[in-house]
Amino acid sequence: MLTAFARAFKTPDLRKKLLFTLGIMVLFRLGAHIPVPGVDFEAVMFCVDETKSSTGLFALVNLFSGGALLQLTIFALGIMPYITASIILQLLTVVIPRLEALKKEGQAGQAKITQYTRYLTIALGVLQATGLVATARNGSLFQSCRRANEIVPDGSLFRITMMVITMTAGTAVIMWLGELVTDRGIGNGMSILMFVSIAAGFPGALWAIKQQGEIAGGWGEFIAVCAIGLAMVGLVVFVEQAQRRIPVQYAKRMIGRRSYGGTSTYIPLKVNQAGVIPVIFASSLLYIPALLVQFTEDKTSGWALWIQEHLVAGDDPIYISSYFLLIVFFAFFYVAITFDAEEVADNMKKYGGFIPGIRAGRPTAEYLAYVLNRITWPGSLYLGLIALVPTVALVLFNADQNFPFGGTSILIIVGVGLETVKQIESQLQQRNYEGFLR
Amino acid sequence: MTEALGSTATPERGRPEDQTSPSRRGKRKKKGPLGRMGTFYRQIIAELRKVVWPKRNDLVTYTTVVIVFVVVIIAFVSVLDLGFAKLVEWVFG
Repeated sequence: MLTAFARAFKTPDLRKKLLFTLGIMVLFRLGAHIPVPGVDFEAVMFCVDETKSSTGLFALVNLFSGGALLQLTIFALGIMPYITASIILQLLTVVIPRLEALKKEGQAGQAKITQYTRYLTIALGVLQATGLVATARNGSLFQSCRRANEIVPDGSLFRITMMVITMTAGTAVIMWLGELVTDRGIGNGMSILMFVSIAAGFPGALWAIKQQGEIAGGWGEFIAVCAIGLAMVGLVVFVEQAQRRIPVQYAKRMIGRRSYGGTSTYIPLKVNQAGVIPVIFASSLLYIPALLVQFTEDKTSGWALWIQEHLVAGDDPIYISSYFLLIVFFAFFYVAITFDAEEVADNMKKYGGFIPGIRAGRPTAEYLAYVLNRITWPGSLYLGLIALVPTVALVLFNADQNFPFGGTSILIIVGVGLETVKQIESQLQQRNYEGFLR
Repeated sequence: MTEALGSTATPERGRPEDQTSPSRRGKRKKKGPLGRMGTFYRQIIAELRKVVWPKRNDLVTYTTVVIVFVVVIIAFVSVLDLGFAKLVEWVFG
């Protein structure tokens, strides 16, 4: 099976794509290490070391940017602004008729929406960069560090503007890298970059668990966490692979002297049709209140305190329940966006296909919607639970709740991994090789 | 052919739910919200029974492949990070 990886590299076409993706990853990580101009590198390093196990405002975002945020590098904002922008546009497509018309226009309209997403990303990048630079300057980025005020030695307007522009440009470059991967590499660029960012935090976090643990010099906890992680990978793969297959029969027809069709296939409806997108959406939406707090001058005003208390820490009941509800909502929302029952039914009708026992056209669309609705309920509950169970468990055992083995990161890592491996697999099969997944 | 069929026998408008679940026809008005939730729950279970769950063999293969892939990428990224951290320290430190 593992020879399939080697075989993937032997296929010239696929090798090019894989190497391209790996190259993009290298660039992405390089950018995550180069400090922004105007920052005292030594002071930042000192503070990052001192507040290693941070549980503050930025812990989750720091995880999503692969540790680049706290180090104030040129890629500090990571892929988050792009993701947030695409969520906002997808939400708006439902609300604003003009955007909906654009979407229905097909390729050209889609290109326009993509362009809007890019503009919005830049706007969000400027906002977020300003917030980040402001917190870095007044020393609240590292609250417990005694050199926190030395991070930005020269607070003149020129310097600050330069830092903001650099970070925004970094965001634009990341966006471009992501689109390049989607175009010429393997997998979906946005998810791949997200994957890399989270992967970058794993070894350090695992090591920290070993260091903090007590059973057998920490190895007890280390092995336990690894075992739980593996079990969760298995579970996620299990549900990800589960399908409700709706049989479709194609009518036989004669064209000239040859007969076409007459085959029976099925429409695969996954239990979790939405994939990991709802989790990513929910966690980036929940980050917005924290972002708002960054901008307020007065961090002790009522609402700011309320947000810091209830919407920032991962163990607060309000945080947990709103996270869960958002995941369920986005699961349905995303399925509704990506799977248009009417369109599928229409296409089936066009090519002479039908579901046995159900009339073509509207009844078929209704039947598809019926099944999809009922299957998405357990799917979305599963997503919410998986994303939360580790958090709750960790709180119960009083561990660090911003631990990267949380459900969110496991879901993203496994989901993206599975998707990418399948794509490599299908490309291998195109060339008549048996892939990894015999 | 199918179009012709569809045009002669279009379903009644206004009662789309009944089309999809004929068993509930007529009973709907008697049921309160709790009863309807019960039906919905039973329908969910019915659909879940029809789901094709992955076989044990497939599950093991997929899990192994995903784990190998993820570990390889994590190793790759960690090596990169280590190298870049050293490099950046050397340049700026």
